[in-house]
Amino acid sequence: MAAARGVILKAVKKIAVQFCPFESNARSTREFLVLVGSERSRATNMNCEVTTEVKHDASEPLIDVSFLDGERLVMRGAKLTSREMLTAFQTRCTAKDPQAKLGAKK
Amino acid sequence: MAATLCGKLFSSPAWLPLTQSVRHGSKAVTRHRKPLHILKQKMIAVTKYIPPKPGPPAGSLTPRPKRIEEESGLMRILKRDLEDVFKDNKMVAVAQNSSSNSEDMLVLKHRLKKHDISVKFFPNQVSRAFLPGSPYKNMEPLFMGPTVLLVSKEPKAKQMLLALRGSPQIALLGACIENTLLSRQGVLDYSKLPTVITMQGELVSSLTLMTSQTVSMLQRHPAHLSALLQQYVKQLSPEGSAEQAPTQPTEAA
Repeated sequence: MAAARGVILKAVKKIAVQFCPFESNARSTREFLVLVGSERSRATNMNCEVTTEVKHDASEPLIDVSFLDGERLVMRGAKLTSREMLTAFQTRCTAKDPQAKLGAKK
Repeated sequence: MAATLCGKLFSSPAWLPLTQSVRHGSKAVTRHRKPLHILKQKMIAVTKYIPPKPGPPAGSLTPRPKRIEEESGLMRILKRDLEDVFKDNKMVAVAQNSSSNSEDMLVLKHRLKKHDISVKFFPNQVSRAFLPGSPYKNMEPLFMGPTVLLVSKEPKAKQMLLALRGSPQIALLGACIENTLLSRQGVLDYSKLPTVITMQGELVSSLTLMTSQTVSMLQRHPAHLSALLQQYVKQLSPEGSAEQAPTQPTEAA
């Protein structure tokens, strides 16, 4: 599974997740939160903050990622699966931080 | 070929040939596919076999019968435990721990134990199987992903929130306090409420305020009269009757 290897958060400054647990469309957002907030992922970057906001106003679930170079990635998780969100997030992460990864792999 | 040559040699009308070839003309066995005679073609077309059309595939019209698995003994035990939890504890809160290792959990459990709040783990499958049958079925969407139950006999929302503030990875989703389902905001508001005793005292004081005001209003006139008479008596006793005569008309006025 993608989560077993952990998500690499080296180029990420902050991840803010907000959802409403009583809505049925929050499932993928919650799964994404679990994947990103796991120990392994957090260990890749100790400075990255993962904040969770639990709301109850029937708003759609939102994931707001701020990268170190100022770019923001906003994902509205109402109609997305957690896997799609994860791949989108990871492609951007690796695009931003290719040198460190390639160096580590070599 | 010999037959055709014979036909051409003996062609005079008076003389009948000894042999007459029957098989003459086009050949039956050819190397290519000989086109069928029109009558034969028509016959074949009329009497062609038309197989019956296959109906829709077997599983498409009626829905596939879902396999209802019998619930195992463990599930029954867990369901019973969950039912007891809901019965015994006034406050049942659901929180999601996206990531907490054992030492974080230990610290949190210790902090909550001080206020008699216990942490329970139940598989989501059990919760989802049990909740629709109980009056708490609106809590069902909360149980998704890694969840923990924080239960306590007394509704101690404030202490729970203080303890949870120390561990950021646990997100409180909602709670069922005294058979009312509350969201996170509801729990925060609940914790800010004063205790029942204070509320009762406030209520009693506000009710008695009106009655005490009424009582004092009713008693104002006799109280005033009795105060005046007392003053009068005081003035009477030390001064004596002589001085009282000129003061009496003024008092009466």
